[in-house]
Amino acid sequence: MWEVMFWPIVACILLPWLLVYLGLHVVQRGIIFIDIAMAQMASLGICLAVLFHLDLQGWATFGIALGFTLIGAAIFSLTGKRSSQIPQEAVIGISYVVAAAAAVLLLSRAAEGDEEIKNMLVGNILLVTPHEVWKCFALFVAVGVFHFLLRKNFLLVSFDRDGAYQKGLRVRWWDFFFYAAFGLVVTSFVRIAGVLLVFSYLIVPAVCGINLAQRTTNRLLIGWFIALVGGVAGLFLSYWWDLPSGAAIVCTFGALLILVSLLAFCRNRFQRLDDTP
Amino acid sequence: MKKILLMLSTLITCAFTAQAKLNVVATLPDFGSLAREIGGDKVNVTVLAKPTEDSHFVDARPSFVVSLRNADALIDGGAELELGWLPPLLQNTRNPKIEIGKPGRVQASQGIHLMNVPTNVTRAAGDVHALGNPHFTVDPIIAKAIAQHIAQSFSALDPVNAAFYEGNYKKFEATINAKLQEWGTALLPFKGQHVVAYHDSWPYFAHRFGLNIDIFLEPKPGIPPSPSHLAEVIAQMRAQHIKAIIVEPFHDRRIAEKVASATGAKVVEFSQFPGGLPGTDSYVKLIDTLVSRLAAALK
Repeated sequence: MWEVMFWPIVACILLPWLLVYLGLHVVQRGIIFIDIAMAQMASLGICLAVLFHLDLQGWATFGIALGFTLIGAAIFSLTGKRSSQIPQEAVIGISYVVAAAAAVLLLSRAAEGDEEIKNMLVGNILLVTPHEVWKCFALFVAVGVFHFLLRKNFLLVSFDRDGAYQKGLRVRWWDFFFYAAFGLVVTSFVRIAGVLLVFSYLIVPAVCGINLAQRTTNRLLIGWFIALVGGVAGLFLSYWWDLPSGAAIVCTFGALLILVSLLAFCRNRFQRLDDTP
Repeated sequence: MKKILLMLSTLITCAFTAQAKLNVVATLPDFGSLAREIGGDKVNVTVLAKPTEDSHFVDARPSFVVSLRNADALIDGGAELELGWLPPLLQNTRNPKIEIGKPGRVQASQGIHLMNVPTNVTRAAGDVHALGNPHFTVDPIIAKAIAQHIAQSFSALDPVNAAFYEGNYKKFEATINAKLQEWGTALLPFKGQHVVAYHDSWPYFAHRFGLNIDIFLEPKPGIPPSPSHLAEVIAQMRAQHIKAIIVEPFHDRRIAEKVASATGAKVVEFSQFPGGLPGTDSYVKLIDTLVSRLAAALK
């Protein structure tokens, strides 16, 4: 089994830490579907590259996809106003459907091989190559360092927006940097692991952490643990029962979240019992 | 002592026969069915794609990689039909026995004259396969050629049983030759008739039996039907009195039914793969079913 599952397991150990951290930001900001919207923006860029008959593996295609991701980042940072009648999630949802529909329109004109585009955009964790894992890991380390060095401001903008405004931070610019880095991370992970897996790695460990702990550091540690256990256990299940690997990991995460919620529920009950004299 | 020797010898024969069975992987059920015809009980055949699955898109599972790693032979289409999913699988497999050019690799399209080869390879014409239309196994004469190719590969890998494989091929060839008469007679009354199909999967079948399956619900291969294109198809079908629309299990049947109700044509469920329709567990039974279904719809 190792010869088949070795690189998927390596990918599930080396890569999710950054997604879990970004997931805490995303859940805190209440913009759950941003990853799917961002991934869809990038694929719209690739559809455009197809229309111009560019080499799908080339730098020009990558540039266009990155450009679209940055456009997405700009849209989301401009619309994230301090007090707006329109929730950010509405803008995200609209961006997703419009980008998805525009991709359908472009493809109906350009008509590249659908399977090639799908293959390029949506990876399968089972079939990762060592090269892909290391490339993605290098990018994640770079983004991770960027986030670590500027962590004070990023955390402030996500977790205490009013405080950030009061301190005179240029919140829009910080938002833009956040979304741009986020888009880069998400689109590169989607190419390795697919949309379902990105979404679960971002949201489930973060929600588990928030369920069980108050401090950001503890939430992060719990999230990392959940991500590691869920990913590796999901891969093992997928091998034993011969299931599609990505979907098996996602369902394992679902089961873990139920367990964690039960745990949190029981703990709260007991605490309340203790509190009552 | 005698007992031990006996046990040892049975053990050795068991091990030997177990080893002697060729592990064969077929990407698609039609190749798998041909491999079973030729290999009989001397081979273990594993088929990757399910017969009801769209062969352009197949989701890889861990067992795919395992069986490709253990394969003595791999049979694939060789004409880009599996382009979206086979290359990444093979990249992960690195099994020298099934590399292109080795006797363990049968590329079914080899030596076959593919139809509709695009003259210039831009993708502007839709999801066109650069090497030509890859849906060729539904032509029984091409199926014979593939079966022969498979028999040669098995004989090279397992020379001890070469006569067995050769014999099975001769049997298959004889069956197809006899059946071709029968199928030809059943479809003869409809020679030259036009039939509509959802996707351009049937040029070889049409060519073999003298039909014209050349109007498609998809405006371009792989592109979902647009309203104006469907209107055009409906007009064409009315003008030419077309009686049948071919759909496959993974196509959107409702679109075909909408067109059928507008034109009075019948929707005929077809499959390129043995097992894709009820009662079609072998290649011959599949073509039997296709021929009788189409003949019934065109009557």
